[in-house]
Amino acid sequence: MTVISNNDIARAIYLVSKDKSRAEQSVISGKIVKFLFKKRMLSKASDILSRLNVIINKEEGRVVAKVSSAKKLDHQSKTYLEHILKKRYAAKEIFLDENLDEKLLGGLKIRVNDEVIDLSVRNKIKKLQEYLTKSA
Amino acid sequence: MNSNHIVENLKKEIENFSLQLKVEKVGQVLEVFDGIAKVSGLSDIKSSEMVVFQNGVVGVALNLEEDTVGVIILGDFSKIKEGDEVKTTGRILEVPVSNSILGRVVNAVGVPVDGKGTIKTDKTYPIEKVAPGVVTRQSVSEPVATGIKVIDAIIPVGRGQRELIIGDRQTGKTAIAIDTILNQKGQNLICVYVSIGQKDSKLRKIEARLEEGGAMNYTVIVSASASEPAAMSYVAPYTGVSIAEYFMDQGKDVLVIYDDLSKHAVAYREISLLLRRPPGREAYPGDVFYLHSRLLERACRRNAKYGGGSITAFPIVETQAGDVSAYIPTNVISITDGQIFLETDLFYKGIRPAVNVGLSVSRVGSSAQIKAMKKVAGTLKLDLAQFRELEAFAQFGSDLDESTKRQLERGKRAVEVLKQLQYAPIKIENQIVTLYALTKGFMDDVSLEKIKEFEAGLIEYSERNAKVFYKEIAESKMWTEKGEEQLKKAITDFKSSFQKAKS
Repeated sequence: MTVISNNDIARAIYLVSKDKSRAEQSVISGKIVKFLFKKRMLSKASDILSRLNVIINKEEGRVVAKVSSAKKLDHQSKTYLEHILKKRYAAKEIFLDENLDEKLLGGLKIRVNDEVIDLSVRNKIKKLQEYLTKSA
Repeated sequence: MNSNHIVENLKKEIENFSLQLKVEKVGQVLEVFDGIAKVSGLSDIKSSEMVVFQNGVVGVALNLEEDTVGVIILGDFSKIKEGDEVKTTGRILEVPVSNSILGRVVNAVGVPVDGKGTIKTDKTYPIEKVAPGVVTRQSVSEPVATGIKVIDAIIPVGRGQRELIIGDRQTGKTAIAIDTILNQKGQNLICVYVSIGQKDSKLRKIEARLEEGGAMNYTVIVSASASEPAAMSYVAPYTGVSIAEYFMDQGKDVLVIYDDLSKHAVAYREISLLLRRPPGREAYPGDVFYLHSRLLERACRRNAKYGGGSITAFPIVETQAGDVSAYIPTNVISITDGQIFLETDLFYKGIRPAVNVGLSVSRVGSSAQIKAMKKVAGTLKLDLAQFRELEAFAQFGSDLDESTKRQLERGKRAVEVLKQLQYAPIKIENQIVTLYALTKGFMDDVSLEKIKEFEAGLIEYSERNAKVFYKEIAESKMWTEKGEEQLKKAITDFKSSFQKAKS
């Protein structure tokens, strides 16, 4: 017996509602909810939704980057960052989700999906500490 | 060293430091239970890749599923929480190795646990490695002197061989292994003792015993005790063989003892079931055979072109009530090049080591046996085989004909001679002298109770009075007529004085 995962359902939802008009979509949405109800899967709806979000982002070339920094980023560095990330992930659009984190001391930490690029001062100091204690 | 100097040094070190920032893949712990963590994220992770948890504990990714990864945790898992960050390392699990690891006790990930401080290491070896291929190998030709008469004479083991030690609990399996380690003084054989799921008190006793015998100088102990999680027991033998490979790569001969693989299989079964892999026979997962075969296949004798060196493996397997047809014993028997079979009955009859000579075999070792030993052992094997056949008739006593009686008496003496105390390894030359005296019939008229005494006296006497024989064995591994004459004379001389003293 093959198990249908939440991911499969999310993908199916994406495929049926792709390139549809508003009116059609609302009909489809109703059907989806009915289907989930019939299969007693409404409790999994939030998980399916978040997976659907990931799929849509991936298909449409949208990338959500979580950027943590010690200080608020100015406009110039933001556009520069967007430019770089666009190139790196071959994305059409970049969403910057900005966070302030004093503990980083300085620099940035960028997280895209499960990839982390840690350019913070805290990480650099940690690396230096590891290096110094190791060679001693 | 003044403070200025330290600051200068520090400055230099900091200048040398080049920061290498890499893109890291991270995931989140979804659940933790019984030494297993389910982790989300971690795309592009490889099978059996090492991962690092937030608090520095390492793990190994074993199950790669659609959107989670099953990780075994090597270390304390009580401090890992749901939602903790997990980083990939891009490397498979490694152990630090160096020459200064000799004489130390380390755990399954190479961290010293003997309280003697850190081990300075320069290199790491991956714990999983593909065994050396056909072209790099060579057949077994050098013996491993175990110092145990039964084994050296009848079930000889060569360097690079895999010889299983199998038997019920309390039959002296570990004792054989420890005696072998103790006998390796000055034999150019490095020993790695891997203790899997054993009691800490037992390990402590073994370590103390090895220390006392001066054997720790060439021994490494890898310990995954019963109190540690199953993941440690699972990894320990691979760690042991990786340490052995480090020494083999220097062209040295190494002996690895896995004590014991039944507990290893049990630990792997626990992990597999927790990872929800389907169980098979005796609830072991489908790949237990591969688990042990890939481990034991790494024992080898490499030819000189590829750097020489060898790894001899002594896996130990515990049977339940002498049942060798259980799952794990049959698996390991089929992988190894022979087995030493120990029996409870023999043990309680006082035949110690309790080796069942009929069921024990060494499939490749005979080509490694030295010539002189081969000569005396050939007749010994025959004597014992005939004895076993006739043993059933022994109770008829007087009704037997002369030749049968003679064979029975010879057999009894052979069994008596093969008895040996624990921690008392015997040099190969002395073994040959005793067995020579036995097989040539010099012991036939010595009473059974006096055999041990006779043997001890004979060894002492011939060491002094048959020097030519000893020299020949040491040099050419075989005696000449001249040496044999001298030995014969020494034996007859000693025997007459022995019997005179008794009467």
